[in-house]
Amino acid sequence: MKRFLFVLSLLMFAGFSLFAQGEEITGNVTNAEDGSPLPGVSVVVQGTTIGSVTDFEGNYSITVPDDQVILMFSFVGMVTQEVALEGRTVINVMLEPSTTAIDEVVVTALGMTRAEKSLGYGVQSVESEQISTANTSDVINAISGRTAGVTITSSSGSPGASVFMTIRGSASITGNNQPLFVVDGMPIVTGRGGTMTTARTGTSVGGTGNSSRSIDLNPEDIASMTVLKGGAATALYGLRAANGAIIITTKSGAAGRQKMKVDFHTSVGFEQVSQLPARQDKYTQGNLGAWGSGNAFSWGPNVDTMYYDGDEDYKWDPYGQLVGQNDPSATSRKAEIYDAYDFFQTGVTYNNRLSVTAGNENASYFFSIADLEQTGVVPNSKFGRTNVRLNSSARLTNWVKISTNLAYTNSRATQIQQGSNTSGVMLGLLRTAPTFDNSAGYIFPDGTQRNYRNGGGYDNPYWTANMNEFTDNVNRFIGNAILNFTFTDWFSASYNIGLDTYGRQGTDIIAVYSRTKPQGALEEWSGNSMQVNSDLLLNFHQSFGDLDLALTLGHNMFSTNTYSVYGDAIGLEIPEFYQLSNSSDNTTGVGRWGYRTMAVFGDLQLAFKDMLFLGATGRNDWSTTMPEQNLSAFYPSVSLGFVFTELGALQGNSILSFGKIRGSWARTANIATPYNTTNYFFSAGSGDGWVSGVTFPYLGTTGFEVGGQLGNPDLRHETMDSWEVGADLRFLNNRLGVDVSYFNNLNTDLLLSVPIAESSGYNSTYLNAAEMESKGIEISANARILDGNFKWEILANFTKMTNTVLSLAEGVESIFLGGFTVPQTRAVAGNEYGSIYGNDWYRDPESGAVLINDDPSDAYRDGYPMTDTRQMVPIGDVNPNWTANITNTFSLYGVRLSFLVDIRNGGWMYNGTGFAMNYFGVHERTENRDVYYTSEGTIDFERTPEENLVVFDGVYGHVDADGGPVSSGVDNVTPVVLDDVWFKGFGSNFGGGPSVAAMEPADWVRLREVTVSYTFPTQGDIFQFAELYFTGRNLLLWTPYSGIDPETNLQGAVNGQGMDYFNMPGTKSYTVGLKLTF
Amino acid sequence: MKKIHFNKHWMAKAGVVFLLTALLASCDWIDTEYNIDPDAPGDVPMALLLPGIQQSIGFAVLGNDAARPTNIWMQYYDGVARQSYTQGRYQILPADVNNYWGTVYTDALINAKILLDKAEAEESPHNAGVAKVLIAFTLQIATDLFGDIPYTEALKGTDNVLQPVFDSQQSIYSTIFTLLDEAVGNLGAGDEPVGISGDVIYDGDADAWINAARALKARAELQLSKRNGSSAYSNALALTDAFGSIADDMLVPFEGANPNPINQFMVERGDVRMNQTFLDELEATGDPRIPFYFGEDNDGEISGSPTGQQDETASPPGSYLASQTSPIVMMSYAELKFIEAEAALQTGAGERAVEAYKAAVAASLEQVTGEVDADWMAANIDGENASTLTMEDIMMQKRAALVGQVQPFADWRRTGFPVLSLAPDATQTEIPRRYPYAQDEIIYNPDNIPAVGSVIVPVWWDQ
Repeated sequence: MKRFLFVLSLLMFAGFSLFAQGEEITGNVTNAEDGSPLPGVSVVVQGTTIGSVTDFEGNYSITVPDDQVILMFSFVGMVTQEVALEGRTVINVMLEPSTTAIDEVVVTALGMTRAEKSLGYGVQSVESEQISTANTSDVINAISGRTAGVTITSSSGSPGASVFMTIRGSASITGNNQPLFVVDGMPIVTGRGGTMTTARTGTSVGGTGNSSRSIDLNPEDIASMTVLKGGAATALYGLRAANGAIIITTKSGAAGRQKMKVDFHTSVGFEQVSQLPARQDKYTQGNLGAWGSGNAFSWGPNVDTMYYDGDEDYKWDPYGQLVGQNDPSATSRKAEIYDAYDFFQTGVTYNNRLSVTAGNENASYFFSIADLEQTGVVPNSKFGRTNVRLNSSARLTNWVKISTNLAYTNSRATQIQQGSNTSGVMLGLLRTAPTFDNSAGYIFPDGTQRNYRNGGGYDNPYWTANMNEFTDNVNRFIGNAILNFTFTDWFSASYNIGLDTYGRQGTDIIAVYSRTKPQGALEEWSGNSMQVNSDLLLNFHQSFGDLDLALTLGHNMFSTNTYSVYGDAIGLEIPEFYQLSNSSDNTTGVGRWGYRTMAVFGDLQLAFKDMLFLGATGRNDWSTTMPEQNLSAFYPSVSLGFVFTELGALQGNSILSFGKIRGSWARTANIATPYNTTNYFFSAGSGDGWVSGVTFPYLGTTGFEVGGQLGNPDLRHETMDSWEVGADLRFLNNRLGVDVSYFNNLNTDLLLSVPIAESSGYNSTYLNAAEMESKGIEISANARILDGNFKWEILANFTKMTNTVLSLAEGVESIFLGGFTVPQTRAVAGNEYGSIYGNDWYRDPESGAVLINDDPSDAYRDGYPMTDTRQMVPIGDVNPNWTANITNTFSLYGVRLSFLVDIRNGGWMYNGTGFAMNYFGVHERTENRDVYYTSEGTIDFERTPEENLVVFDGVYGHVDADGGPVSSGVDNVTPVVLDDVWFKGFGSNFGGGPSVAAMEPADWVRLREVTVSYTFPTQGDIFQFAELYFTGRNLLLWTPYSGIDPETNLQGAVNGQGMDYFNMPGTKSYTVGLKLTF
Repeated sequence: MKKIHFNKHWMAKAGVVFLLTALLASCDWIDTEYNIDPDAPGDVPMALLLPGIQQSIGFAVLGNDAARPTNIWMQYYDGVARQSYTQGRYQILPADVNNYWGTVYTDALINAKILLDKAEAEESPHNAGVAKVLIAFTLQIATDLFGDIPYTEALKGTDNVLQPVFDSQQSIYSTIFTLLDEAVGNLGAGDEPVGISGDVIYDGDADAWINAARALKARAELQLSKRNGSSAYSNALALTDAFGSIADDMLVPFEGANPNPINQFMVERGDVRMNQTFLDELEATGDPRIPFYFGEDNDGEISGSPTGQQDETASPPGSYLASQTSPIVMMSYAELKFIEAEAALQTGAGERAVEAYKAAVAASLEQVTGEVDADWMAANIDGENASTLTMEDIMMQKRAALVGQVQPFADWRRTGFPVLSLAPDATQTEIPRRYPYAQDEIIYNPDNIPAVGSVIVPVWWDQ
């Protein structure tokens, strides 16, 4: 079998043994508008990866395989020109300014550069300038709001927080839905961005955040970034690009006679919390209207009636306990309300980057070094990154060029305990009674903790931030070497071998006397990841009159492996001494994981008269994760682009200056994750979802238990059939451009771990089961409203898509994606992917109106609705109806102002934060709580403030003996008060309220980014270029959502989106930066 | 056609590409061996399966999710915050028992079934007997809480039976009796040289397992008292000689590194306190077990939280219930003596009932406090005789002995003792008499799951 594959690879080379010399072409590129030289223009031999860049004087030199090639000259903001050599060795070119950033050469799959107009599928590029000035630490955040069809959600605004990204919706139910990232031809690891859960100290909804590994890239190193969206665009990447791909090309030096150039970019940013839930400031800690020391609740008396007693022995508050004003021990000091949000600080980010480029006739270099130091809004949360890169390229002979791209990164993060976790920083902070001052000390002299529950309950947020650190240190190397061979005028080859390897070391500390582990805990782990990729490409190119033919044949090998070792210690004998030996309760383990794939593929491109472009690809993959009989899968794609403005009658039309329609179809596949073809045993242990549980070794013995998942020896590849049609139209001499795509992806035989009835002895089985569809429309538009000295440009994107789960496995209606016991994010057959699933109110079975209890004899309160606990139902879809973003850019002389508005319409979020705050009586909506009753037990309307009265929307009804709803059909008019009984009952999660009561729309309009920059007039010999800028991100947010910023997610970059449960807050930032070139 | 230019170095150039290709071809890149998990064995010996099953039964089958809500309902505990408070108002949702249902089937039963299959394949009747006892035990705990449950078609995921039918509680009980009878037979057979190993309950002592099988059968027989009447009592009575002292107790031990489940709950969540109802019962006689059942409250005293009053300052569960090393009781000599007392009383053997009752209370005192307080026994227990001893006496003392366990919830349903009042703000009209089926079982086995109106509907033996 294996031998056969390689014979096949060898066959690909049969007959190709004819070569010719290359030829050096030189020339100069200038701006057609003013005749000034254009540095940095990309010069590429069409259909190949041979390329060069102009130097500061606009000069270039390039060695081409023969004199029949076409050179493409492209530059941001300029119309790409294609020039046939026709025997010339000197080619001078003048480039015209273009209206659109997409009228360019783009880097497509496998690093092939193509004129965008020749493509039969939609792609979108993000400019390096935009990435650079956005100043986000994770490069993915810089793309936010700049593209259509791309969804990006940060887990929070914490330093190093993970980012969730999907392109054209989700293609997998429970598997990875994030796109493939390819840097200089090397696929890199970007995921692993969920919540950090540790063996015995965390849960998936608690623990700490965890960076996405895309954060290891230095955004400043990026020369271009292309988003490949559809199946036809990514078909050549085969099974790894089922979710789309982000193709990144890093900067390189310019070949040719170039002087050394130094770029320096420094910035400082300030961050603040973006949105927090409102808290009440009227009532003290306590319950049933009485003040209570250490009480969980803030259902105490009105703060205006309370005074400190001045008791110095009372250690929980510096001024003593609270007593009523008539109490003999009352001092004159009135009870105080503290602003819990004083806890947050201003985060600061320092960012310094330096790069050097140089080149001569035979070699070019790009060297960069960068350092980022960030502190977050939560004290002690930190992220730091140091990047070093060397990209070099040398021509060894006239037919061999070698290039290397070497990048080293050190990323280091300190994350704070978060989420549903008694040590979670937001949980302790938001539940704290308004009369308790967390900042008045978090630790007593004996080492125990001072918190609002008098030592119980939750950690004081200052305790957590200062005592419980999770530190994470990554040392990463990404590098590749590329050999380019130019054999003849029609045949070239390239070989690209690269690796992405990182070591990651983590220490998770839970101090003694922390609530989540009062005995203290330590977890140490260390792991490494190694990914190797090898691509061999053979390129053939030939023209036959009006027909241009390019064929690429390729071979790919890929492997990925991770190895990690961990040890934990629970119960630390010496407090604040963090060493595994500081406990008698240790567990250790090793985790290994890996797979390999191999592929052969071909890509055929036909172009007729620069008008009609036909592309076809085919790829066959083999993967070790599939069972023996299904190792291999083949998938084809075809695409067609028709530039109809090249038709004689339409040529030279100034109203419709360019028009293209395109269409493509592709079938791609995806493989199983490793180790799913059979059953395994694992180290035994037992837990119950409440506590840490027990493990082995136990009583000095080891123990094993069978794994919960049934293996499946009959797995097949999953398949995605996608088609796409689109049009690219430009009007009024390219002043106005519109690009529209409609796409439809149908995923069948989706592989997933299907939950099964646990009475079978197993909880899941790995199957080809589900079907999912994603379809939608993407519109990108750009307009150059004003030219001349005062320029005004608009770029806009609009996306409307639906991502529907067509079916899951037989008998399976829904599958858990994330969340809690109740509620959960689930994939529900027939619904959009990502439905929140929870309990609803009892409703009128006919009208769906909420039932308001009218039966005085039952256990429910009259005039209030009742939770229907019979089963969980879908209560909200997390996906937006549509999203849009608009960037306006104004420039006048050297001043440029740009602002990006990001809009999201529709989508729901679970505000579990607010729902829990209700229970504790700390949410602002619990403020209208006062109610007085008459002697008959009815509300005394004379004394009860009118604003406290509410009438629930619904109809009268009750619940019958079998638990079923009985409706009267009559509208409810009974006034009631949302008092403590309500909020400690069905008005909150802990009181048994239904999750539907916490669902809120998560629409938003946000001022995503504002940039003001000033470019100084060139300063003679000192600076080539100098720019000062200000960037603000997320400065304004309009949303009906009342919880923490709806652009956060509890579990981070995972498929279970739409959950807010004491999430880390989102942030807004203000950055000032200076860029110098000399 | 274009003219082709030959180059004199073409062979050398082509050689580079062929060299590369040879390099790519020189390794066995795609190999299914690569898809075997290096970190997980495909099979393990019996001795490594047994302790995991026992740990699961102790920690999870009997632990928090079975013991804690039922002990709140039985007013041993009061749920003073969060989910425990909700449970105290009798709200228990299908989703709330998901974990628990999984524990029963995918943790305890499936591994016990694998152990049984292996024991039979390796011709080790002793291991087969132990597996049968553990299966029977777990089935009874589960059926007592849920009613009808799957067994005949259950645990057959590897045979592609993914939606097992539910067996009636009646047939589950006959399975339990069969398994326990077979276990006694298996354990009585010679088993050299395999033997029971990895056993954290009886350290491989086959005779002890025979006794345990008989004791468990006595409990199962008695459980059917509402259904079977006198035959339940007489069948149970014939088995009450299984244990001779508290040394025979069937206990799952815990240790500092793997603490008792209630201990972990109190350390990590802490949402229950001891109930005033239970404290009142014990204080009426100055029961010597009080300081072992009740920890010190916030004032260093002993107090209870009245049902539903959420008094977080009241006593937490004490050292007998909630220390790190408190064992979880699967079956005790004290319980067996209470079974004997009840069965004897109900069959008219008053003297035997009195003797068993006294022995049961004494065994509990010894088990809990380490000694038998003779003064207290004399003042409160020893005076009973065949004409004064009542069911209520027996059941109230049994209740006092079995705090923290799951059986009192069954005894309350069977006998009506203790008489309990409904919690304030109750979400049900009565105290629950069962658990709902698990959400996942409802979703993934919809055709088979029986329709049960609510948690106040009695299970078969409770009707």
